[in-house]
Amino acid sequence: MRQARTYSGILSGGISGRTGPHLLPLARIKKIMKKSGDDVKMISGEAPIVFSKACELFIEELTQRSWMVTMRGKRRTLNKEDVTSAVIATDIFDFLLNLVSDTGNSVEAAPLEMDISKSS
Amino acid sequence: MEPMDIVGKSKEDASLPKATMTKIIKEMLPPDVRVARDTQDLLIECCVEFINLISSESNEVCNREEKRTIAPEHVLKALGVLGFGEYIEEVYAAYEQHKIETMQDSLKGGKWSNGAEMTEEEAVAEQQRMFAEARARMNGGAVAPKQPDPDPSLES
Repeated sequence: MRQARTYSGILSGGISGRTGPHLLPLARIKKIMKKSGDDVKMISGEAPIVFSKACELFIEELTQRSWMVTMRGKRRTLNKEDVTSAVIATDIFDFLLNLVSDTGNSVEAAPLEMDISKSS
Repeated sequence: MEPMDIVGKSKEDASLPKATMTKIIKEMLPPDVRVARDTQDLLIECCVEFINLISSESNEVCNREEKRTIAPEHVLKALGVLGFGEYIEEVYAAYEQHKIETMQDSLKGGKWSNGAEMTEEEAVAEQQRMFAEARARMNGGAVAPKQPDPDPSLES
């Protein structure tokens, strides 16, 4: 099937020698998609391609926002707290709040959990 | 570093390749800027979480449209719903670009391979072209004899 060949081309590192945009491995993306829910429908062969680009843009944005925090702190090394700050400051990154607070950073945005433990 | 970190967290068996992700991350930053190791891991986890989020929403969109397969259009819609509308244009452009390149690849690989709709049309078009060429050759011969009796003086 044509699509199988396309996948193998990407997995071996890029189609037709494009060095520009990096394609994340479609098979892996598909695996993650399948695990995202209990009743995930069939996934078209092209959907992971769309995801690959979307992920790239997402990481770029998150990196850039984190970097701005680093710069404000006059540092040259991006650390987890910078990422956490960027997540807190960006509305559309709210879905990441749990993830960044799990890493043990102090997060003002997760007061609910602290209240529960206090009341018990 | 724990071995599990390299293989992938147990709660998410599939993670994204560190090398590719690191490249994307580094390209966004000035060359002398470093990213702490655990921060790279965190960024990758965020990306996986992003895929989870968009996947769930894409699944919903697909359900609502009563389709059985999650298609690129569903993913694009999901991006819009979740506030990532800014990505849609670029993502769509990359998708279109990929379609073109894939078509070129499959045409190069063999016009007669099955799977690409374009291949059949191409084959039909090719057939028409061959017929037209053959017809032209035949017509060319019938209209007028191109070569009259050769003048003996011309023959060397």
